[in-house]
Amino acid sequence: MTDYQGLVTRAIAFAVDAAIINLVALLVGVGMGLALSILSVGDEAEVVLLACGGVAFFAWSIAYFAVFWSTTGQTPGDRLMQIRVCREDGELVRPRQALLRFGAMVLAALPLFAGFLPVLVDDRRRGLHDMLAETVVVGVSAEPRSTRVPRASSSPVPP
Amino acid sequence: MIREIVLWPARELGRRAERLTLATLDAMLASRVGEEAVDRVLDSELAKRAIARAVERVADEMGEGPALDSPAMDRLVARLLESDELWLIVDEIAQSPAVTEAITRQSVGFADQVAGQVRDRSRSADARLERAARRMLRREP
Repeated sequence: MTDYQGLVTRAIAFAVDAAIINLVALLVGVGMGLALSILSVGDEAEVVLLACGGVAFFAWSIAYFAVFWSTTGQTPGDRLMQIRVCREDGELVRPRQALLRFGAMVLAALPLFAGFLPVLVDDRRRGLHDMLAETVVVGVSAEPRSTRVPRASSSPVPP
Repeated sequence: MIREIVLWPARELGRRAERLTLATLDAMLASRVGEEAVDRVLDSELAKRAIARAVERVADEMGEGPALDSPAMDRLVARLLESDELWLIVDEIAQSPAVTEAITRQSVGFADQVAGQVRDRSRSADARLERAARRMLRREP
């Protein structure tokens, strides 16, 4: 029986990842701020730099998830919670699929996180982003890499 | 030569007497009587006084008082705590690879244990949340 992972476990893993992303961004931001404080930059340049910082933060967030999902299937938070993101057939997520999953995750979070609610009732515990990107989240110990994940019709919901 | 011939019986007699005495002593010690005798000797006031005196002498030779709860022992401990050498030894031990490795291993083990607890609890929370959601939607579990 495949050990699909539920909302709470995934939320904790995401919280750990968000903490890592923000911590790194904070350190880089403080470093950049200190470096720029030495130089005298005008107000307009400051606005441009802030916009660049925002874009860099967004790019960093996308890269973080996309790279981890498509290379190991596990972000550090996933590793801590012993879960893994994979395709429905159990293989590693493709880079394009990882990007799509991230975009869908943002979309799922926009209507007060309503896009994640299907995880509670779906047979394979998939959220909107999982459905769109055709991915599932499984337990690492129960589902080793490259093992085929059965379809919903043949797999009952794990306890 | 004549002297040897004359003394030989006396020596042989002495050797046999010694062997006999030791054999008797062994037999006595192996018997219940011997055990009882040793117990009685050790329980006697004389033996207790002798042991106490021996311990005191050893402690005196070490330069400090005879008993652990004595003021002399307190002074010894205080002096030890004031000495820089003690803290140097403590520092050396604390920084030794064996100790640091043991601490690291214990910390990692503790972190693993905490992570395991979080995982277990999150999985049971998942199950509870899903049961509640399915009840609300009147869907079969």
